[in-house]
Amino acid sequence: MGESDEELLSQVARGDAAAARALVGRKLPRLLSLARRMLGDAAEAEDVAQEAFVRVWRQAPRWRPGAARFDTWLHRVALNLCYDRLRRRRELAVAEPPERVDEGPGPGRGLEAQDVGRRVDAALQALPDRQREALVLCHYQELGNLEAAAVMGVSVEALESLLSRGRRALRAVLADLREG
Amino acid sequence: MTPERFAGLADAYGGDVARWPAPERDAAAAFMTDAPARAAAILAEASALDAWLDAAPAPQASAAMVGAILAAAPRRPSLWRRWAFAAGAGAGLAAACAAGVLAGVQLGAAATVTKSDIVSAEGGGDAVLAVVSDEDFNLFLDEEAG
Repeated sequence: MGESDEELLSQVARGDAAAARALVGRKLPRLLSLARRMLGDAAEAEDVAQEAFVRVWRQAPRWRPGAARFDTWLHRVALNLCYDRLRRRRELAVAEPPERVDEGPGPGRGLEAQDVGRRVDAALQALPDRQREALVLCHYQELGNLEAAAVMGVSVEALESLLSRGRRALRAVLADLREG
Repeated sequence: MTPERFAGLADAYGGDVARWPAPERDAAAAFMTDAPARAAAILAEASALDAWLDAAPAPQASAAMVGAILAAAPRRPSLWRRWAFAAGAGAGLAAACAAGVLAGVQLGAAATVTKSDIVSAEGGGDAVLAVVSDEDFNLFLDEEAG
């Protein structure tokens, strides 16, 4: 195990390029995955990841060890950026409703292996934002229930309820995969 | 643990008991021993959804994005910039010293004028004396006495 996140941050604040590289290597894949799964769009996810790191660089000299876990803070920053984009998207959708895309396999069309991924992705995007957020934090980001609840600002009971409703909805939407 | 709670945990956290909240795992293990068939059915249902979730594509960070992120990171000033800063600070210090010396000379001149004004002043001396140093004041008294 190398330096802690906090140690890396203080080195970053002093302009240490190697520490910046190490922090990016450590955090970027998960940050990108979080944004990709929340937004369902690769380009927007990259924008969010870059914006989140701009905030990390800005925060580095001001970071107070012990005030909060860096990882929790970073998840919250990235989620806020995702919610900004989701809000903008909804405003845009009200102004110009998009054409509906059929996500189902279609009659007589076999479901290829990579289609499963796309189906799951589309089903995730169709979930209410908070249910998707709970699932992304617990399943993909592998946060513990206490940390996920802290990031979302809800109780553990509320988190479990969001997870259960999300997973049930996904199971219903993806039920046909079982036969495939 | 009740069957409902076991099913509720699988419903929320998936089919891998290792990913369930730590304080619940021992009771879950006991339930799996007591009702293995029921536990297995619940876990299998949850695991199927876990497998679908894992089929969703994971994004890869491009080298270009990593480069753009690192380009925005705080930088240690280069040797040249540090030298320029030090040189600038040195020049500033020298300028400040020069300004100080100049100010001192001017202050000395001002003090001389004030003293001669005091000497020549009749009556309104108190207000002027307030800004004169003790040394000047003593000198003034000596001159007055002499």
